[in-house]
Amino acid sequence: MKTLQKGLSVSLAVALMSTALLACNTDSAEGPEPAPQSEGGSAGNGDGSAEGELLNKEGFPIVNEPISLKMFARKAPPNGPYEDMLMFKEYEKMTGIDIVWEDVPDEGFAERKNLLFASNELPDALYKAGITPLEAIRYGSSGMLIPLEGLLDSYAPNITALLEQYPEIRASITAPDGHIYALPAILTLGAARTNKHWMNMAWLDAVNLEAPETHEDVVEVLRAFRDGDPNGNGQQDEIPLSTWNLPDLINSMSGSFGLQTQMGYRINIEGDKVDLWIEDDRFKQLLEFLHQLYSEKLIDQELLTHTGADYVAKMGEGKLGYFFNQASDPFVNRKEDYAGIAPFVGPNGDRMVNGSPVARDFGTFAITSVNKYPEATMRWIDYFFSEEGSIFMRYGIEGETFDFQPDGKPEYTEAILTDPRGTGVTIGQFTPWPGGGSPQYVNVNNASAINPPEVQAAQEALDPYLPDKIYGAPMFDEQTAKEVNTLRQDIDAFVDESAAKFVTGALSFDKWGEYVGTLNKMNLEQLQKFYQDAYDKTK
Amino acid sequence: MLLIPMAWYILFQYGPMYGLQIAFRDFNPARGITGSEWVGFENFDRFFSSYYFGRLLWNTVSISIYSLLFAFPIPILLALLINEMKGERYKKLLQNVTYMPHFISVVVIVGMLQLFLNPQAGFVNFALKEVGIEPVAFLEKAEWFKTVFIGSNIWQNMGWQSIIYIAALAGVNPQLYEAAKIDGAGRWQRIRHVSLPGIFPIIVILLILDIGHFMNVGFEKILLMQNSLNKDASDVIQTFVYQNGILQGDFSYSAAIGLFNSVINFALLVLINRYARKKAETSLW
Repeated sequence: MKTLQKGLSVSLAVALMSTALLACNTDSAEGPEPAPQSEGGSAGNGDGSAEGELLNKEGFPIVNEPISLKMFARKAPPNGPYEDMLMFKEYEKMTGIDIVWEDVPDEGFAERKNLLFASNELPDALYKAGITPLEAIRYGSSGMLIPLEGLLDSYAPNITALLEQYPEIRASITAPDGHIYALPAILTLGAARTNKHWMNMAWLDAVNLEAPETHEDVVEVLRAFRDGDPNGNGQQDEIPLSTWNLPDLINSMSGSFGLQTQMGYRINIEGDKVDLWIEDDRFKQLLEFLHQLYSEKLIDQELLTHTGADYVAKMGEGKLGYFFNQASDPFVNRKEDYAGIAPFVGPNGDRMVNGSPVARDFGTFAITSVNKYPEATMRWIDYFFSEEGSIFMRYGIEGETFDFQPDGKPEYTEAILTDPRGTGVTIGQFTPWPGGGSPQYVNVNNASAINPPEVQAAQEALDPYLPDKIYGAPMFDEQTAKEVNTLRQDIDAFVDESAAKFVTGALSFDKWGEYVGTLNKMNLEQLQKFYQDAYDKTK
Repeated sequence: MLLIPMAWYILFQYGPMYGLQIAFRDFNPARGITGSEWVGFENFDRFFSSYYFGRLLWNTVSISIYSLLFAFPIPILLALLINEMKGERYKKLLQNVTYMPHFISVVVIVGMLQLFLNPQAGFVNFALKEVGIEPVAFLEKAEWFKTVFIGSNIWQNMGWQSIIYIAALAGVNPQLYEAAKIDGAGRWQRIRHVSLPGIFPIIVILLILDIGHFMNVGFEKILLMQNSLNKDASDVIQTFVYQNGILQGDFSYSAAIGLFNSVINFALLVLINRYARKKAETSLW
């Protein structure tokens, strides 16, 4: 027993050493060659590609002979298996294009997507894949994702029309090299771009108060919710205020403190100056306000640890007094109790809410270099951005899953709306849109499911307080994007963590100076400059 | 016969190490490993100058040290205890009860911790309330993180890890016990002078093996237990690698961090082995 066998032990040591390393075995010599960049024109068209006779430029079917495409997709909790979705099955019959789905659940999706690119084993297209601007540029400029602008011009009349109608979209999806590598979701419906302020009106009645107008009223109302037993069960089990997580809460209330979320980040734009407000005194005010609420147990004490599913359950069980959510679907069963209210006036007289731009979700769809039928693929996705196609995508088949109402708008069948599984899950079995992030076109005509009367009313309460202009996240060139990413990795983690500590009282506000000092050490100024430059370019 | 394991090592253990070089490159999957630009120590520089470097290193090292201090000796004590027990049935019962938790998956363990330690409804806090102590949100306090993590690790693994010591104790020559008894040694003296020296080589070997992955703390469990309130104490090198490499796709950077981690492990392994060979005359090689 003095010494174990030598050979084995050395290999053991080396084996231990190698376990922590990411083993990536792709070699450029073996991997597929990056596709040639098509300069603005349509890739593979007119140069004798097999697609010439196969493709119909208009109408259905898209292809004369069946083809098959492999698509990689994210599957959110309410979504059923993609290959069983009624809408896609029907669409296959219409188009002649068979989609072989690789649908990966939310959990672990980011890993799978990164490994897909890292191993260079690409599908034909990525659907609902949440491609980030950095990924679009990194994998676009290296040729793994193909430029789409040429294809858009020739094969996507519906998307092109929307891009013309909303010119800011094109700016927000075009990379600095002039190419578009990924398509966004386009949501012209305002209610799909804001977090509503929901108030429990039944509780308000019970404690004899009005909807809060100022931040002081908020405290008063929440205290009454906490102490007044508004649900009348004799127990102190009410949760006065809750939301998904702390960043969500900050985002929902920051408008009342004069803080906007422009360019997809914590940014105010005042007089053409970009201001990253994470070291601003108004942000400190907001955190102090939240700390007051938290220490008085007015904020859900599980805010920092509960999961999204827990939060949805709390909404559905009617445990919450004041909370934030885009639509009313998690609490349809008690929607009479709740109403959307206007944002409150903050200590400096600000009254604002934040919203997302029309191109709400970046990178919902992209075509890769291994795709042999990019034109057909582009026609395949374009249909969903037409009036007709968007209804088809979100509502399925007329007479089977929906019917047109007298006013011409689609509505799901009674069986779907009353399904005991809940509408989200039921709809998610035949179309992928529940769960968010789909390549889709959401407008006032195809959104009754997320825009029922109570949500419309809640949106109307917010409308007067939306910023005049909402800038989307900018596209940096690859080098800058990398630097921005490096800076943000540390800074965002630090801000989120510090905010949690300030709010819960783990860190006292005497340390605010230190917090700002650390941010400056992390080179906040440089990050702000990157955003300023990006803003100056789009202006 | 040796060819098969050798081929396995070359193919699956040494082969992938060729990918290590991405730590020194700006890895771009389209260009492949060898095609990506060589950046030297840039990724290491970035890590060492990161705001989080100090905290990551301290958390990783301190969790390991505490584990060695508290979690390593307990299976030995448990084995000695079981060895000294008289009734076969109680012995078996104790062994079964202590090694069962090993078979519960990490996800379930963390779920149980969250349930038991819940400040409102968990039975631990319930018990604390009964004796007049304010409930503590254990999982939301950085200062409690390491205690909860290592404490639950001990509960999970002590029975399982004690098996090897029990086996070693069974191998101690019974005549030595007889001789000690005749010489008038009490129970404590027998443990000190017969049992412990009997299993000492095994202890040293397991210690060396443990130190060989000193910097690899229980990554999955930490990740599951982590939240923004306990991150001060729970952010370790491995979770950082996961968050940057896998979630953000920053492969080169995380490969560099992983390499740094492994080099420390490797150096510690060599050092402790050399030390053990000199002092305890027991070693891996």
